[in-house]
Amino acid sequence: MRNALKQYNFDWMLWRTYEAGSRLLAGTKQEYDIALRYIPYFRDPVKEVFKAKAGQLFLQMTATYLDNIVHAHQRGKKTCMTTFCFSPAILYALDIVPVTLELLTVMMTFLYKRGTGEFLDYCNEAGFTETSCSSQRGSMGALLADIGTPIDMVVTDSPGVCDTNANAFSFFAAYKDLPFFQLNMPPWLVEERVTEYQVQDYKALVAFLEEQSGKKLDIDRLRQILTELQKQDELINELEQFLCYRPLPLPVTTCLFIYAGRFMFAGMPIYTRLLELLVNEGRENVRLHQQGIYTSHEKSRGFFCYIDHYTHSLRLWQMLQELNIGYSGNILSHFWADSNPPVIQNNWKEAAYSIKTNTLEDMLTSIAQINSRMPMIKSIRGPYDSPYMWLQDTLALASMYKADFIVYNGTPGCRNTWGMVKLLAQDTEKAGFPTHIMYADAFDDRVQSWDATRDRFEEFLRVRRLI
Amino acid sequence: MFEEFYTVAQSINNEYIVKAKEQGVQCIGYTCSYFPEEILHSLGIIPYRVKGLNVSSLSVADAAFGPFICSHPKCLLQHFADGDYSFLDGIVVTPGCDSMRRIDECIRKTAVNLNLPVVPPFFFHYAVPHKITEYSVKWLVDELQRFIDSVTEHFSLSFSYEKLKESIAFYNRMRKRLEELNTLRMNYPARIAGADAVAVYVAGLSMPRDRFYSMVESLLSQYTGTNLEGRRRLMLIGSANDDIDFIKAIEGETAVVVADTLCYGPRLDVDYVDESDEPLHALALRYLNHSHCPRMYGGYKQRLAKVVEAIERAKVEGVVLQNIRFCDLHGAENGLIERDLEKMGIPCLRLEREYGPMADYERMRMRIDAFIERLEVRKFANISS
Repeated sequence: MRNALKQYNFDWMLWRTYEAGSRLLAGTKQEYDIALRYIPYFRDPVKEVFKAKAGQLFLQMTATYLDNIVHAHQRGKKTCMTTFCFSPAILYALDIVPVTLELLTVMMTFLYKRGTGEFLDYCNEAGFTETSCSSQRGSMGALLADIGTPIDMVVTDSPGVCDTNANAFSFFAAYKDLPFFQLNMPPWLVEERVTEYQVQDYKALVAFLEEQSGKKLDIDRLRQILTELQKQDELINELEQFLCYRPLPLPVTTCLFIYAGRFMFAGMPIYTRLLELLVNEGRENVRLHQQGIYTSHEKSRGFFCYIDHYTHSLRLWQMLQELNIGYSGNILSHFWADSNPPVIQNNWKEAAYSIKTNTLEDMLTSIAQINSRMPMIKSIRGPYDSPYMWLQDTLALASMYKADFIVYNGTPGCRNTWGMVKLLAQDTEKAGFPTHIMYADAFDDRVQSWDATRDRFEEFLRVRRLI
Repeated sequence: MFEEFYTVAQSINNEYIVKAKEQGVQCIGYTCSYFPEEILHSLGIIPYRVKGLNVSSLSVADAAFGPFICSHPKCLLQHFADGDYSFLDGIVVTPGCDSMRRIDECIRKTAVNLNLPVVPPFFFHYAVPHKITEYSVKWLVDELQRFIDSVTEHFSLSFSYEKLKESIAFYNRMRKRLEELNTLRMNYPARIAGADAVAVYVAGLSMPRDRFYSMVESLLSQYTGTNLEGRRRLMLIGSANDDIDFIKAIEGETAVVVADTLCYGPRLDVDYVDESDEPLHALALRYLNHSHCPRMYGGYKQRLAKVVEAIERAKVEGVVLQNIRFCDLHGAENGLIERDLEKMGIPCLRLEREYGPMADYERMRMRIDAFIERLEVRKFANISS
């Protein structure tokens, strides 16, 4: 890694950048326009985010998340390295600061033209494999090189779901000799034995977190967080209804805001405010019969059956708007509450979670169930064609959103999905959805340039007469 | 003396399986060392650890799996698609790693897509936890019971704890004999080549176990040893390997693999099943505990300690850390082991390779030769000082 890159902590740099970005709209329109001239590398993502009314709050939320990380130790809090598919609600209940690798990676790839290339490579220098998932490596490299807030403990919930994910956390813990805890997922979802196992595992996690943080789980605080989560679920449900409308009444970044916010601040009021803003914008657009993608006509609509493409300047979202493509969801934006529209529509209550806050036992069961239904944790734990797994979820969501086509995008490091995505695509094609498999790396343009990725995407859309 | 073992180890089907099948004996394949053979043995079924040897094309495997997948499960799938495993009456798929567990869908879908009768009649997804706790052991006990219920129902067999106890005792005896064999190469000087030892182990996973046991007994009683003095003593760590040619490629004329942690091999410790414990609980404990595999997240320190113990016991001079491309579990752990062993002054060589025909034989040989040279220089320096 270049010495120059080691001069500032990467999380501190990110915090300052997002903090500054979130204040851009504080002045006049003229001041904003002038400011954009001075941030040539950052202005495209900034403009893209601000197309949504919730954009400014989204940036503020991101800045707050980074602020929490940067100042965690100064404020007497412990930091916990974790993953996007682990609900941070329990960490907030114990006053531990989550440091989510995939979020930090995306925060960097969105903003910096160079992406996270040097951090990715540093992981290899430290002995980690180059074939592992780039979503963790992107920021893990910086933490391996000690240019970020020191980590106090490591928690992951992907064993049984995604090896490359779990392996990154286990590697980091071993490399730095840190306390490590894994939540372990059986390969199916709906069975009393599975629930019992997951609840026991979750209780062991709570004991681990209490030991590491030196704090006892505050039942009232947990209840407050779960109650807030219920409120957030209701708002997400309403947003999902809007996302089914055609034309789309919400900006194309809505889905990103929903899941990124949830990964950062599940159960926290700041995320509730973001969702409320999105809901208000949706309601207003529906009332005025306006569409949210700010283009003339929604030509077709896609459903991303895995993740989005996160490299510089939110170019995926820009492209979708330029091509007048509505984009209403991906597998990351679903959290499977018992009130969630696809759960209701398909009568999938047994595969959903319910939040109960009467007793501690109720709450621990609820939060264990929430966690075991996080994106990826729910859908790709077992064979993709088993009940409540990837195929069933994909077809149900694509149908609900009235999608015209399905796109798979991931990373070459995703051994799990690459082990079955070709078969999944055959099934979704048979079900009537033209399906495009992107061979790009969602976090690293060096694998396939964005231009090549876009060309192939457009070719698919043209050949299948979708645009 | 080892010919028979090599013949069985280096082919998919073999005469022992053919004969047993002619007598109506069932045979069930499995994909991972976390599966307890004892249960099948007690039911009179031959357990068969599926291998990926001798594949000449990946036409079907490439169509089903994506491009970023380890070549070992791809070779397994190709064998299924080519009908080479048609002698199996069942298959047990374990989430050993992501690539391997996806063979579940790939076999089933290949059968549908290509209209091939490649799915064995009995198909079982065996869920092994990734951690060792009281509740994960309980989970595995339940999983073993689920397997017993399923297999006995499918084949209309009756299960008996008495027979299972007998099988556990038999396997313990077999482990004892294999440990003696392993000692032959771990002792100084080594009296058996690594390739020969691995051939015995791999053969043992591919034939009726009672016959194998008598073959091992006979080998141990007659074998007088090979003179391997003067060869550099290596340990082999990393991805699964059922390919004897790979071991031969590493040993060449100048080295001997005196210890390994490989799946299909002895792993580090033989670990017996506790015969005084309740049988399913004893099996669950043994199989969760024994395997030296990075799929058990968070267990690096324990695994490293066992590696170091083996290095000391076998007087290992250098360690070869290999992983099949896209095998991140072993690839990443090899990075940690390399760092820690080198710190302790134990020379390491890290290799990434493809599974299957030794396409990169020369490249690998060149690197191993250079490594052996490093060991020679080091030995010379030690003698001089």
